[in-house]
Amino acid sequence: MRYPQLVRGCLRMTSMPFLTLLGYLEIGLCIAALCALMAKKQWADYWSLGAFLAVRAVSSMALVYILHPVFHPLSARVGYHLYFYTYWISFAVESVLALIVVYSVFRLAMAPLKGLQQLGMLVFRWAAAISVIVALGSAFAPDMTSSKYLVAAVSQLERTQSILTLCLLVFVCFAILPMGLNYGSRIFGVSLGLGIMSTANLVQSAWVPHSRNIYCAYNIVNGIAICLVLATWTAYFALPEPKRRIIVLPTTSPFLRWNQISQVLGDNPGFVAVGGVPPGLFAPAEIEVMQRASLKMATPFPRSMSA
Amino acid sequence: MKIIVRSLVIALALTGAIATTCANASSAKATVSVSKTSAMPAPGCPPDDPNGCGIYDGN
Repeated sequence: MRYPQLVRGCLRMTSMPFLTLLGYLEIGLCIAALCALMAKKQWADYWSLGAFLAVRAVSSMALVYILHPVFHPLSARVGYHLYFYTYWISFAVESVLALIVVYSVFRLAMAPLKGLQQLGMLVFRWAAAISVIVALGSAFAPDMTSSKYLVAAVSQLERTQSILTLCLLVFVCFAILPMGLNYGSRIFGVSLGLGIMSTANLVQSAWVPHSRNIYCAYNIVNGIAICLVLATWTAYFALPEPKRRIIVLPTTSPFLRWNQISQVLGDNPGFVAVGGVPPGLFAPAEIEVMQRASLKMATPFPRSMSA
Repeated sequence: MKIIVRSLVIALALTGAIATTCANASSAKATVSVSKTSAMPAPGCPPDDPNGCGIYDGN
């Protein structure tokens, strides 16, 4: 396949069965990864990834059904209309779920350092919320139809999510050893899969324009990438995970110090009544205790103690 | 192993960063659309396309 064909040309007829096969393989691998996740009882930690895989499996089945006219009597126009909305709405849901996956992976990776985890999650929540608002806002233009707005908003959201995912992948890759994890950990496997997906998305958005035909040769590249990602996730969830090592940090470690500082950030402060307190506010027993304490403070040290 | 994995991750991050820069530069000229990383074809035409974007051309 030549380069111009790859980036904007229509698929050759000979490539169609391969693309169809990749579509079926994607659905199969989605279900396999979901089954491996549930069989290993990882739903509590990775529910967002499970939801992502479930949405992807269901939407892909619906899209395959619409794409093949042997299954239904729909005309090309009606079929494309259904395909368009199924594709973009499922894409929007998957983008939001992918953001939650990134959030939960960060939470799991930072679990031993509670203070930094809380601080990081707070920053992440703000960054994600602002990104979503900016994506929805920047997609708006005066002469925009609802379908154009849907495509633009989902594209912006997906790009934002891809950038956040790549940032997380770099963080996980370099912090994985100090966090007591290794490259066989599911946290790394999930991040790596998300990173490959995000890179494919960003490359596609930068260099591959949409053609006037639904079948673009880049679909094959996308199909191979998603099968690779889903196979990675299936393998990471199917294989036993190595245990997390004990994390040992020197007492002078800035990592430890920042964790301690972060742990006390946001704690509710105590309050001291400094004046204007009516005596009726206290119970008789409390007044008695305070009077005794005042007497003790007024009394000088006993001689036996001072001697 | 560590070096290989780190190199791979850096390569992914750099590719993403360069792609974002290129997409931002090209977004001044045309609308940039992202498609799913999926074997399913991305619908780039408007939903009321008279040809149905060639959805059944390959079948």
